[in-house]
Amino acid sequence: MKRSLMSLGAALLSAVHLAVPASAQNASKDVTIVLGEGVDLMEPCMSTRSNIGRVLLQNINETLTEFDVVGDKGLMPRLAESWDQQNDSTWRFHLRKNVKFSDGSDFDAEDVKHSIDRAMSKDLSCETPRYFGSTKITATVVDPSTIDITAEPKQAILPLLMSIVTIVPSDTPMQFVRDPIGTGPYKMAAWNVGQNIVLERRGDYWGDAPQVEKATYVFRTDPAVAAAMVQTGEADIAPAISVTDATNAETDQAYPNSEVFYMRIDQGKPPLQDKRIREALNLAIDRQAFVGTLVPAETTLATAMVPPTTLGFNKDIKPWPFDAEKAKALIADAKADGVAVDSKITLIGRSNLFPNVLEVMEAIQSMLTDVGFNVDLQMYEVAEFEDIYGKPFAEDRTAQLVAAQHDNARGDPVFSMFFKYHSNGPQSGFSDPKVDQMIEDATAATGEDRAKKWSDLFAYLNNDVVADVLLFNQVSFARVNPRVTFKPTIATNSQLQLSQVGFK
Amino acid sequence: MRKLIFGRVLSSFFSLAALVVMVFFLSRLTGDPAALFLPREATQEMLDNFRRLHGLNDPLIVQFGRYVWDLLHLDFGQSLRQARPAIDVVFEGFAWTFQLAAITIALVSIAAIVIGSLAAFRPDGIFDRFASVVSLIGASAPDFWVAIVAIVVFAVNFAWLPTSGTGTVWHWILPVAVLFIRPFGLILQIVRGSMIQSFGSLYVKTARAKGVGNTSIIFVHTLRNAMLPVITVIGDQAAAMLNGAVIIETIFGFPGVGKLMIDSILQRDFNVVLAAIMVTALAIFVMNLLIDIAYAILDPRVRT
Amino acid sequence: MTMTQSLPGTSTQAEVQQKGRIRGVLGMLWRDKFALAATIFLLVVISCAVFGPMLMGDAALSQNLRGRNAPPFSIANGWFYVLGSDSLGRPLLPRVVVAAQNTMLIAAGAVLCSSIIGALLGLVAGYASSRVGNVILRLADVIMSFPSLLLAVVVLYILAPSVGNLVIVLAITRIPVYLRTTRAEVMEIRQRMFVEAAEVMGASPVRIVFRHILPMVIPTLVTIATLDFAFVMLAESSLSFLGIGIQPPQITWGLMVSQGRQYLATAWWLAFWPGLAIILTTMSLNLLSNWMRIALDPAQRWRLEIGGKANG
Repeated sequence: MKRSLMSLGAALLSAVHLAVPASAQNASKDVTIVLGEGVDLMEPCMSTRSNIGRVLLQNINETLTEFDVVGDKGLMPRLAESWDQQNDSTWRFHLRKNVKFSDGSDFDAEDVKHSIDRAMSKDLSCETPRYFGSTKITATVVDPSTIDITAEPKQAILPLLMSIVTIVPSDTPMQFVRDPIGTGPYKMAAWNVGQNIVLERRGDYWGDAPQVEKATYVFRTDPAVAAAMVQTGEADIAPAISVTDATNAETDQAYPNSEVFYMRIDQGKPPLQDKRIREALNLAIDRQAFVGTLVPAETTLATAMVPPTTLGFNKDIKPWPFDAEKAKALIADAKADGVAVDSKITLIGRSNLFPNVLEVMEAIQSMLTDVGFNVDLQMYEVAEFEDIYGKPFAEDRTAQLVAAQHDNARGDPVFSMFFKYHSNGPQSGFSDPKVDQMIEDATAATGEDRAKKWSDLFAYLNNDVVADVLLFNQVSFARVNPRVTFKPTIATNSQLQLSQVGFK
Repeated sequence: MRKLIFGRVLSSFFSLAALVVMVFFLSRLTGDPAALFLPREATQEMLDNFRRLHGLNDPLIVQFGRYVWDLLHLDFGQSLRQARPAIDVVFEGFAWTFQLAAITIALVSIAAIVIGSLAAFRPDGIFDRFASVVSLIGASAPDFWVAIVAIVVFAVNFAWLPTSGTGTVWHWILPVAVLFIRPFGLILQIVRGSMIQSFGSLYVKTARAKGVGNTSIIFVHTLRNAMLPVITVIGDQAAAMLNGAVIIETIFGFPGVGKLMIDSILQRDFNVVLAAIMVTALAIFVMNLLIDIAYAILDPRVRT
Repeated sequence: MTMTQSLPGTSTQAEVQQKGRIRGVLGMLWRDKFALAATIFLLVVISCAVFGPMLMGDAALSQNLRGRNAPPFSIANGWFYVLGSDSLGRPLLPRVVVAAQNTMLIAAGAVLCSSIIGALLGLVAGYASSRVGNVILRLADVIMSFPSLLLAVVVLYILAPSVGNLVIVLAITRIPVYLRTTRAEVMEIRQRMFVEAAEVMGASPVRIVFRHILPMVIPTLVTIATLDFAFVMLAESSLSFLGIGIQPPQITWGLMVSQGRQYLATAWWLAFWPGLAIILTTMSLNLLSNWMRIALDPAQRWRLEIGGKANG
């Protein structure tokens, strides 16, 4: 209670000074960025979570390698200058020299080892292990600027995986921290929980000094307010405003946000085991009618679980056309063979998944009903939704179509395919031994062969299995104050590098 | 009076305990925080590890025992989401909400009592009709609608005020103004109704017959008699605000306890939910006690 | 407080013929044009609620993505589109009409349940021994401090979101308001002379509570209930917004308002018409309840009988 009274007093004092709102910091090199989701942790090993990554990743904490999602440069060096494969399972990384952490200590191989150990440790629940699955990672320090990393079993994309592990100093405790120390161009100067986070440029950064001197992050759940803040000059960048607010061509730009919106088909219950029914579901939806109406005009139709910038993306797959007559014919055909086509199908959505998700779901429901499906719509809040989306599935469920978004901006399908399509995948709605084998083969392959194997898998899933109803590669809108230059990209959803922000 | 206070503190303790027990078990019926904290693609190993670290594997009753034991040592547990003591998280939010509620309720009470009394003085007169219509439109307009329109008009078009956030006195004006509208309509109606009823009662007529001036009729005789239901409704509105003004806090980016509570409920951060409920409940109990004391002062017959 | 209290015997209603009484009430209503308008509007809403889904149920659900967000006041596409269309191209007029049913069911259900339960508990709390009263009041404290949203999540997680369960959730959270107000009024009224007189004359507690105290409490309760109507309609809208409210294709005004929220800047009519329906319903209820309070109170009825020229 005493604390509360103290903080109460402090808050009262802070409210009393009568400053006129500091609007546009015109000449200064400071920026204010308004984000939609608050930040509850500033923990480097959680930076794969997009709300944390947008503030922290490559700004405060850096990684050994960095994947170029936007261009075609592939995997680029960051804290590692180069790497080479020692044998099947071991890679050697040569580290950048003369790099300092923001607390003044030097960066060396011990820090890398500690960062990897910490991220994989059982003493705290980092997100990192999810990208490694059952692979065991061991780091061995060779000398202060060289480190060997071994994966057991062998891991074809180990250098890519290193773009996920953020590097922290070797004395970072084995528990979640709230004051991240990193090698990046910025350090955290202040964190007023619920109000803002302030990042300041470091003078002793190893690379080129970025233009922005100070970045203040504020959080507004309502996209209309975020858009208004940039309009009034209170903020400079709002990376995710709503399409209905994106009315000013001068400041607003669309960009693909790496989310794929799709419906998982539950092959565990009738009538969805029948392939004709799954085809009918795909044919029943007029995807093109959504574009420019309920979803932004820049949206493209999805043909795979991953965005087109991903390795092995198969450009030959065409989106399912809209053909209600053919869908009806397929249903009639299935009915003649005794398939229970009238069984109830529950269409499941998540509230607040994106701004107008409810309307999109209602439109899908109506299209499916039009061709003769018996569809119920059910929206859930996030916890209940995740419960339904993940295994184990309830035994007494009706047949389900679960509409979900999946985000993979990490360059390789391996971060998606096992989870969505393997018999043991936690969100997989079916079981097909051939698919299992294809996933395992592609995961182990390298180079051109790997891309080819993923391509084949995408085609097989879409044409032969008809595993799901793929809908859209989603886009977002960013509003950028004319005084700064910033180009949002497919990476913006998971990281927002301040070094890419400039001034006019 | 001392007996009243002592009795209330004792009984409030029991209701607080009942509340904690209810919330503890009910909230845990609503799903698993591990699945929400960790990514969808988390391995079984990660899930097990998370549950082990946060003691979610034990039987519910063991978890409850541990929670109560910690509580007796004034330890409200850790926030799952923020990895720091839950009570710190709650106190930060509550400080904001408390100020917002106190300022708003004070303004609402003054405005509603003054305008309501004036309206009741000539029921169905022009002023009464006008006040009723305006306050009713306010009370039944969706608050998010009002909030967004207010931002567009006052912050974007006129640029008189900041859109949202905290920092200066100016930042408080829009949230307080939007929050003001709904309780104002409600309390105004109650004041007006109570006052009309009191005007109708014989003793006011007697006072009038005796030639007491209009102003003193309102403020001395009638108001005092009409205050009991008014105070009750003000108390209820204040309690609702102490529980947090979710929509206002969300839209204006105001870091209060209402937004915290909704986020914690949706993310199943049980320790924060419990700590927040205990803090706000305590505040509400204290306020209700003050209301009962106010009753006793206003109307000596109520003392039992 | 030694002043004269209002007397118990003021209800000296003359034994009029039933017909004459109705005509009298209608006559009074005719003279107060505000109350008349309110009554007519409420009758329209009620008939929409009863017949709307039968007559316009299909039109309210017919989607047309190419005719979405059509502006109001154009009947190029037919009368159904006079209020415009929503983001799925569904005509708003039938939607507002059809939504009246669920909205009224939920709001009336929740308000009735919470006011009856709250008033009964409040009567007991105010009139029974102080120990019983205290227990009931602390119960109200518990409900008041239990976050309504958590209650909603718990109830709708365990049960499914349906009209009945929504009524339960909303009713529970509103009980304390009625309970505390009733108790406060009872505490005051029970001290008055006429109640004491009745007690002396040996009237049973039940008779005193229901014959003497309750009629004095009802006007305040009605005022709160009419305003609560609006509150419940809007609370239902925030539940819809969180995804734990009513499920499409079912519609309520609250759901329509919350769906129209993001189109405030581009298509104001999506949230405006259902919002207007909520506001007009609330105002009508309030006007009517104010009128009824006067019409039913013999001490004040003269105001209406001499026409709108009432002065204080």
